[in-house]
Amino acid sequence: MELYVALKVIWAFLLGVLLTGLAVMVGMDMGVGIMLRFVGRSDLERRAALNAIGPHWDGNQVWFVLGGGAIFAAFPTLYATSFSTFYVVMILLLFSMILRPLAFEYRSKLDAGRWRATWDWAFLVSGAVPMFVFGAAFGNVLQGVGFHFTWDGQYFQDESFIWYVLNPFAILCGLMSVALSLYQGGTMLVMRTEQPIAARARRIAVAGGLIAALLFAIGGIWVSLMKGFVFTAPVDPAMAATPLNGPSVARQAGAWLGNFHAHPALWAIPAAGFLGMIAGPLALRAGFAVLGWWLGALASVGTIFTVGVAMFPFLMPSTTAPAQSLTVWNASGSAYNLTWMLVFALIFTPAIIAYTGWAFRVMRGRVKTDSIAHDEHSY
Amino acid sequence: MTNLTVVELSRLQFALTALYHFLFVPLTLGLSVILAAMETVYVITGKPIYKDMTQFWGKLFGINFALGVATGLTMEFEFGTNWSMYSHFVGDVFGTPLAIEGLMAFFLESTFVGLMIFGWDRLSRPAHLAVTYLVALGSNLSALWILIANGFMQYPVGASFDPDTMRMQFTSLYDLIFSEDAQAKFVHTSIAGFVCAAMFVMGISAYYLLGKRHRAFAARSFRVAALFGLISTLAVITLGDALGRSDYLLQQTKIAAIEGLWHTTRPPYEPWKLVALPDDATQSDVFSIGLPYVLTPLVTHSFTEPIPGIIELEQEARPKIVNGIQAVLALQDYARTRSPEALAAFRKNEDDMGYGLLAERYAPGQDLAAITRADLPGVVNHTARATIPNVFVEFWSFRIMMALGFAFLAVFAFAAYFSLRNRLERHPWILWLAMLSIPLPVLASEFGWIVAENGRQPWTVFGWLPTFQSASTHSVGYLLFSLIGFALIYTCFIAAELYLMFRYARIGPATGAPAETPHAAGPMAAGTSGYAGKPWQ
Amino acid sequence: MKTFITFVALALILALALFIAVIAGDDGPWYFAWLVGTTMIVLIAAAGAVLLETQSQSGESEF
Repeated sequence: MELYVALKVIWAFLLGVLLTGLAVMVGMDMGVGIMLRFVGRSDLERRAALNAIGPHWDGNQVWFVLGGGAIFAAFPTLYATSFSTFYVVMILLLFSMILRPLAFEYRSKLDAGRWRATWDWAFLVSGAVPMFVFGAAFGNVLQGVGFHFTWDGQYFQDESFIWYVLNPFAILCGLMSVALSLYQGGTMLVMRTEQPIAARARRIAVAGGLIAALLFAIGGIWVSLMKGFVFTAPVDPAMAATPLNGPSVARQAGAWLGNFHAHPALWAIPAAGFLGMIAGPLALRAGFAVLGWWLGALASVGTIFTVGVAMFPFLMPSTTAPAQSLTVWNASGSAYNLTWMLVFALIFTPAIIAYTGWAFRVMRGRVKTDSIAHDEHSY
Repeated sequence: MTNLTVVELSRLQFALTALYHFLFVPLTLGLSVILAAMETVYVITGKPIYKDMTQFWGKLFGINFALGVATGLTMEFEFGTNWSMYSHFVGDVFGTPLAIEGLMAFFLESTFVGLMIFGWDRLSRPAHLAVTYLVALGSNLSALWILIANGFMQYPVGASFDPDTMRMQFTSLYDLIFSEDAQAKFVHTSIAGFVCAAMFVMGISAYYLLGKRHRAFAARSFRVAALFGLISTLAVITLGDALGRSDYLLQQTKIAAIEGLWHTTRPPYEPWKLVALPDDATQSDVFSIGLPYVLTPLVTHSFTEPIPGIIELEQEARPKIVNGIQAVLALQDYARTRSPEALAAFRKNEDDMGYGLLAERYAPGQDLAAITRADLPGVVNHTARATIPNVFVEFWSFRIMMALGFAFLAVFAFAAYFSLRNRLERHPWILWLAMLSIPLPVLASEFGWIVAENGRQPWTVFGWLPTFQSASTHSVGYLLFSLIGFALIYTCFIAAELYLMFRYARIGPATGAPAETPHAAGPMAAGTSGYAGKPWQ
Repeated sequence: MKTFITFVALALILALALFIAVIAGDDGPWYFAWLVGTTMIVLIAAAGAVLLETQSQSGESEF
């Protein structure tokens, strides 16, 4: 395989890893934010739930920033086109997302009921909206998006943004993403908080995991019936990265199963996702919270890589100009750029994993509800 | 056809969100380093008051940091949401520093900021000190990579245009990182952040000293901040001069606009305009008062080199525009036919391509192919005029920034002197001055941003991609939606931020700090007396 | 053994510092200036605080 092709594939894989990291780590914090008003009946209980993720939310959020940066650098045309065509939903995501850092930092700094209640709602919105949009984006991309390019590489949107939030498949994907984040967040609270918060969080997490499994099954059947995209002419994976003179692409029902038919071993990926979503809640009920957390991570890996494998090499197919669909081959950065990024990723990812693990270890243990009341540093 | 209203609204949104983001960033850059300095003293002397200082200023750091992070998220995504053509055109080289920033710096900063705030009773003193230093390092490394990216917009090196992919392709990471513009810009911006933070700490300490509250705490904070600020201000002025010289070498239109030079200078007499009213429409000054013989050595660091003026720079741009139009037409042809002849025609004028793209704005129907022989002089005239940034804005933003910089030098010099002589409380005027100066360094930073980015116009990538070509093809409605939303949310944010800042600054550091600190127990002393009542001990 | 590890660690830091100094001295003078300058700013600010403690003990300062 040519080096450039290998680099493109590696970066497509790393994109999947980043999105999974986002789903697991940010999803966990978002899930806690969504359920905050329900697991915590009193102010102290809510603070205990917040402090369970308090020392880590900021680090976790970097997955989101890094996801943006890596798409920008590794798949510039995808970054430019997807963020612009999804403008209204992306802006809604940003509006809700930027509430979170403030909600964490400001909520408990004033002892006024109205102030804290407002930020608790902010947690709900800034957890639910971004996770919904994140999932719905997968739904929209699977169905194809209406856009085309002019000769200079400028994109034009060919459909209304209303469709991106109102089409039923995208809603299903959005709900599934929220359900998974509830599972992940609930599991974290089971590990890090005391009763009765932990028990309430467990109920929500179990429900979240099972609902996700149900939606994943429905979504799977839906995808196998919907019109996918497939090359109708041979394509050169080492091509110069431009969508302007791509080979012809057709829309066919069931095309998204093509990779699975060609390589049956790939069925292991959705199976792993299912396993995570079903076994996770069981493990939680049996009292194995840490195992439950890792099974939740497996569920996210399974879901995101299922989508990735089904679509590969498509990234964002176009319904109105299928030949200009964005793929791993035509939307990536140059070989020089991908090489250097890989070098940096290989150096810094182990370091990040090491110090993140260390940070979690330093802050390990349950958050004591009564100690929060006296600690002026806590959220 | 590009909708110019959408472009202007996109610029407005980007400028507002960037300026807003930049209200908080300088304080983060500097305060993290000041915290590290204070905690260093704590670890060396073992005096608990320095731990109080680190924790109290750390709390204000946290209030500010949250907004810096929140508004930074907007910036990371706005390139994609509002500047699609820009992102496509330079993503291969511009996206890389942003991604590396996340990997190398932002992860470091964000992971350790949690430990810095929550880890006091879980980490040994040296380990906590190391964590604080890592936060300071992370935030400044963040700034480094962002300004390397910005340096590429100002002075594109390490990449070249590729007609096959219709974008700039990355060719040299080394050139990108060690770009002269990126270097000068990073040091100037980072140290400007130090000045902001020093003034912030010094001003609030002055407030306590004026009210005779927390005197031991305030005197120590004041001392650290005054010395920190004095040297930082000296550095920021020196580095600003270096940045000006690099602009003179690399961005002549910017330096001509900063100094309001309508005509090429005739050294050595040329005056440096102290005050003037430049009029962009007539390209002349309504009036001006200058200091003779100052300009040439100030900008060029010599007595003989002339500085090109605006009218001459416009003349120089004319042939580039004519060639650029040919280049873009050839490129268009190449995109359609992929013929080697078209490619050869493009290669002949490729260095001037940006000027051709700029000319599209003034071509009939924004179509270069529609320019007739009769139209050409008009198009070239308009385009040449457009290569110059707004002189009035540039001239005055620069002068305000510079005047403030020298004013800070005076404030810090007096503050450091009186603090070192322990005579602060006998000179309340310096305390008042320090307190009232708190917002000024941030204001100077904002004007610095305007000088840098307004001076880059009409380009997003200097000489290669005009701003008006860079925006996404949105409708006006989209932009109104996002602009109004940002305005509402950001207004609420700043209200909440200022309210909390004032409140916590008024309350002051944790009570119970004894006026007389216990004697130093030496480095690494275990346990601290008088603080056992605190829950985090 | 522990001394040896400390020695190797310090030697590595020294090598890294020399490497940075050579690269920065050649191509990144302003980056080098930032490293040296920031260290100096931190040290001088910290020294100011330590000086205050000395002044306080000798009675020059009332704090």
